[in-house]
Amino acid sequence: MTFRPSRRQLTLGAVIVVASLAVVETTVALVAPALAPTDADWVAAAAAVRAGFRPGDLIVAAPGWADPILRVHLGDLIPPEVAARMDDDRFARVWEVSQRGAHAPAAEAATATVARDERFGRLRVRLLERPAETVTYDFVAHGADARLTRRDLRGGVAACAPAGDRVNCAAGGSVLFRRQVVEVEQKLREALLTEPLANAALAIEFPAVPLGRALVIATGLHDTWMRKAARGTVEARVTVGDQTTELPVTDDDSGWTRTRIDTSARAGQTLPVRLEITSANPYDRFFAFAAEARQ
Amino acid sequence: MRRLPLSPRRLDWIITAILALGAVVWLLSVEGRQGIGRDEAQYFRAGERYWGWFSELSDNLAAGHPGRSFTASDIDRYWGDNAPDHPVVMKVLYGISWRAFHTCHCTGATRSLHPVPIRARHRTLPLFARESTAFRFPAILFAALLVGMVYRFARRWLPRGPAAVAAVLTLAQPHFFFHAQISCFDAPIATMAFAVGFAYWKSLRDWRWGLATGALFGISLGVKHNAWLIPFFLVAHYVWMRRGDLRARRLPRVPLAFLAMLVLGPLIFLAHWPWLWVSPLARTRAYVERHLEHEHYNFEYLGFNFNQPPTTTKMKWIRATAPFVETGLTVPVTTLALAALGAGLLARRRRGAPVAPESAESEARPAGHPSSLRPSWLRPGADVDRAPGAFVLVQTLGPLSVLAVPSTPIFGGVKHFLAAMPYLALLAGLGLDWLIRVAAEGLPDARAGLRRAAPAALAVLVCLPALVETRRSHPDGLGHYNLLAGGFAGGASLGMNRQFWGYSVLPMLPDLDRRVPENRQFFWHDVLSDAIWMYKRDGRLSLEVGNTGFGEEGIARSEIGILFYEKHWAKYEAWFWQYYGTTKPVEVRAREGVPLVTLYRRGVR
Repeated sequence: MTFRPSRRQLTLGAVIVVASLAVVETTVALVAPALAPTDADWVAAAAAVRAGFRPGDLIVAAPGWADPILRVHLGDLIPPEVAARMDDDRFARVWEVSQRGAHAPAAEAATATVARDERFGRLRVRLLERPAETVTYDFVAHGADARLTRRDLRGGVAACAPAGDRVNCAAGGSVLFRRQVVEVEQKLREALLTEPLANAALAIEFPAVPLGRALVIATGLHDTWMRKAARGTVEARVTVGDQTTELPVTDDDSGWTRTRIDTSARAGQTLPVRLEITSANPYDRFFAFAAEARQ
Repeated sequence: MRRLPLSPRRLDWIITAILALGAVVWLLSVEGRQGIGRDEAQYFRAGERYWGWFSELSDNLAAGHPGRSFTASDIDRYWGDNAPDHPVVMKVLYGISWRAFHTCHCTGATRSLHPVPIRARHRTLPLFARESTAFRFPAILFAALLVGMVYRFARRWLPRGPAAVAAVLTLAQPHFFFHAQISCFDAPIATMAFAVGFAYWKSLRDWRWGLATGALFGISLGVKHNAWLIPFFLVAHYVWMRRGDLRARRLPRVPLAFLAMLVLGPLIFLAHWPWLWVSPLARTRAYVERHLEHEHYNFEYLGFNFNQPPTTTKMKWIRATAPFVETGLTVPVTTLALAALGAGLLARRRRGAPVAPESAESEARPAGHPSSLRPSWLRPGADVDRAPGAFVLVQTLGPLSVLAVPSTPIFGGVKHFLAAMPYLALLAGLGLDWLIRVAAEGLPDARAGLRRAAPAALAVLVCLPALVETRRSHPDGLGHYNLLAGGFAGGASLGMNRQFWGYSVLPMLPDLDRRVPENRQFFWHDVLSDAIWMYKRDGRLSLEVGNTGFGEEGIARSEIGILFYEKHWAKYEAWFWQYYGTTKPVEVRAREGVPLVTLYRRGVR
């Protein structure tokens, strides 16, 4: 036998649904403020993290929007190079301070094991241990070692001389080249920041890079307002020894793009690594990159 | 003692007054917790400066030289402020209200913080302790006027209970409520758009309202440029209402209301804005171009930062959903559910049938002499069904649809289509009326008491979530999202905008004021100097608190500073880390755990 509600039952059902919705919405609105973590929750969670923290650990908030509050309590353990890291892969131990059932991307690795899991009021602290990649060379940290050259359309090559935050390229003007916390896709990254040259390629060479099994490079365009002001793209290629890899084109919408280059055939060797960037329309293009050679 | 007869008409006016007064009391009782945004601070300044022109005109009149106030240089000195950005109806009212109702400490320590020189202590009716409240008072009155008008309009279709609920639900929306108490133009233009729509509706059967429509449209043009859209929505409804003419292969008559809008609109617009008088055509063009080519400020929506028209198909589609998703995630869900019911009822209504049983009389075609049923440009709705469903549909979806066009800037979020909200509330009133009727019909005769109590109980019940959510959201209404989104936290997780233009610092001011001496070199980020001055004039901030200016240089010079969370400000945080040598804020102002403002101090470890 099937139940076929009458029109009267249906309309009364509508009354009950709306009335129930009003009750639920009111109740949630009254209760929800109390579901947020308190200062005491943060203090207790921070104390737990601090007690177990080891140098080289990563501390993250989940959801990510809680990060400023996390740094109020644990900012001294999160220096700029960690807060604005290229990616999470180098961290073997990740402290995740979470709320509302959220998880940080850094803590979601399938290979991670949960070493600790505790609750502090509305906060949950998990320590995740996972296999991490060993960095054999951090290009950002070695920014001062880079040699820059300008190669014009006819193949003429000129060296660029460092001058503070810039480099002066003979017959080619001056471009920015410095280590900086940049903003790409409204997120902060510690990177090397430079500009493509007009009608020429800018080559950035790191003369002696101890290679591991992979070279990971991330690229992006710095500064929301500059991305709004211009539309030009930046083309880049990486040469490791005699192996050249074209990187994805960097444009206003490409965000922070990571490329992994397999260098396992050269693992253990120390070779020059050269990044060459060009742009047909370099106006207001602030090209940021970070890279690591990894074991 | 003889009791005054309480006619239905008088009772309705009393309820209208109670609703409007309630809105004024509610808004005035909470506006002091609401910070001052960049735009509002500029309108304070402009309003006071415009008052300066009137003050000088009075002096010139007394001196027998009124013409001096009408020279190009004199006009521009006062009226050039905030031009060509916005016309001046509201700003003039803000200035007049300030002059009339503030408590004057003007010759004291804050004397130099006024945009026009203070020559002597002002004689005022000191209704308000804070100068900013005096500026805001007209905006609050406009919000109250809207609440009253929604009741009046709704009463044409609905019993008193649902009509009153529609009025309450108009204001009891966190985002509308936010805008209703500040001296900007978004809530006032929603009021004026509703007033024009109401007058137009009445003009369909009464020529006097046709003239009123024109006058109200002229005033709307002087409130904000959104008024340009009003004619499109009205014409769309009018053509639909008179679609029989098109079927008969004749053009509908142009109604008096449209002619009045065409004539009175530009005249009132030109007359109200002295800045235009200097060069009417060139300056009107500058004003129009200013808005047709308006910059796309940054705005976060679904995790993306929009600051220019999207170029890819995917982003265009995402961008096009903004007004609908923002409405769906900001208006209280019960209100939305009721509005959906109301929309369904209007959609199912047969032509000529009453909108609701009670509206049979008001919606019936006029009786009397057959001439009153003849098509006429004076009463263009007399011989046809006025198509209330189409009217409410266009008024609700029209403003949203304009903002759905991907090339339209969306930096104001919900404020750009607030004009839809009173109609949404009207639909909710319709939905409630239906619920009340079916609930009464569904209750057995034996439960007469329950049957009598049910309407009031349901009316109170459906208002509760809206009132509670609105109270919860204050004073951070822009960061609040509804049950579907999950409140402040849910909105943040969805990547929705939390705030703009630096208003949310207000609750931090007492703490910032105490941070001596470092607050002498203070980086205020997105708080405009006009807002800082108003906080000082209001006595909420010491005069000694400094302002190191905007951008990287401002941070470099400062000892302490704040950062408003908006996606596009991320690089400012990097500058804090660089110049202050720390990633560790000393304080974060948050709502329900969601950061709004971060405070940094140089050298904190």
